[in-house]
Amino acid sequence: MPAETHSTQEPLGADEVFATVRTHLAEILEIDDASVTLDANFAEDLHADSLALIELVEAIEEDLGERTVGFSFDDEDLGDLKTVRDAVDYVVARLGAAAA
Amino acid sequence: MPEPLTVAIDAMGGDHAPAAIVEGALAAVDQLGVRVLLVGDDAAIRESLPGGGPPDGVTIQATSEVIAMHDEPGAAVRKKKDSSIVRAAEAVRDGRADAMVGAGNTGATMAAALLRFGRIHGAARPAIGVPIPVPFGQPQLLVDGGATVDCSPEWLVQFAQMGRAYARLRLGEAEPTVGLLSNGEEPGKGDDLRKRTFALLDGQPWFVGNVEGRELMSGHPHVIVTDGFTGNVALKTVEGALKAAANLVFTTLGAPEAKGAADVVAPLLLQGVTDYLDPDTIGGAALLGVAGVCVISHGSSSPRAIVNAVALATECVTGGLVDRMQDAIGELQDAQESPSGTDRGHAAVEEEEAYAR
Repeated sequence: MPAETHSTQEPLGADEVFATVRTHLAEILEIDDASVTLDANFAEDLHADSLALIELVEAIEEDLGERTVGFSFDDEDLGDLKTVRDAVDYVVARLGAAAA
Repeated sequence: MPEPLTVAIDAMGGDHAPAAIVEGALAAVDQLGVRVLLVGDDAAIRESLPGGGPPDGVTIQATSEVIAMHDEPGAAVRKKKDSSIVRAAEAVRDGRADAMVGAGNTGATMAAALLRFGRIHGAARPAIGVPIPVPFGQPQLLVDGGATVDCSPEWLVQFAQMGRAYARLRLGEAEPTVGLLSNGEEPGKGDDLRKRTFALLDGQPWFVGNVEGRELMSGHPHVIVTDGFTGNVALKTVEGALKAAANLVFTTLGAPEAKGAADVVAPLLLQGVTDYLDPDTIGGAALLGVAGVCVISHGSSSPRAIVNAVALATECVTGGLVDRMQDAIGELQDAQESPSGTDRGHAAVEEEEAYAR
């Protein structure tokens, strides 16, 4: 296994990923953590514009990239992330792929 | 003697880039005593430099990509990491430059500044503070000129606070007044966003209430606040109206029967246009709410526009723009956290909603 794709720790679970997403999103949107639920729609419920989502993506990449080398979002997939749950599921899957 | 400031300039941005940008950068070094970091295609920049190499005060940072005017801003900043816009923002972030100036893709310049500088603490979204020319007076500020298209009432309140802080720096006004752009002056006018924002601003001694679009270019109030969508539409409307008016005036003066009058009036009018209405005189607009200084110039910037944009950038650095924005947001948060401030805001919104029902 090439070193650059090797996970340095166990991949995060969905709960931990959700906590990470929620913390960053609340900070970026200047809203209360409790507003960020799994079913919240980025645009309709949280009023997050495209730049806010890119801020979120970059913050998560910086955060989790240190833990799991090789983790990143594919820009082509960003348009498919409509809800917080979409983002959490996506991150969990990508972390698993990066660690494999 | 303090070190001269360094301004990173996106050399590839604008309709006349890199030639006009490089020419303006060289003039800025001569006229303002600053250093410039020209960021962009090395060969193209050198072709525009007399002698092919950078003179004293000028440094080149070579990049391999360019964000085009039609590129989607956020995606372009993520994909084109070696673009001139992104690298210019990183130069500020990394402390190699004190400010950045860009005349290219406005959205991408804004996105690069936002993503690389980060937002100041507490600022929900950035806004562009655009100076609107006022004949025979100092400019008026329109906030937001297009950075944040969809806004909440709370964000517009932040724009008002940041606009006031910027007006103190840019206009030298000790107590700038603020109006909310709407479709009528009465308190009940406007859509839901306007009504809710009015309720939050109402009672502030500096808030003059709703203002209509015709107050743009009047000089009063000092700051006009609106969302980025409406603000950008208003800006372009003013621009188009000015072009039409100028066309009418100068075409009329060109008529044979106006010959005598034109010889006297035309030079005066041209001077007035240059002094007050020419966007090159204003140079650019500052991005408010980010943790660094970014001046956004218009796409057709001439060398003179770049000199004035660099001058504005240095004014923002020496005048402590970022600290002023941070203080403005901090004061707003303090007021909102105080019991009276919170009660007033919520009560006002509830009263407004009851009225609407």
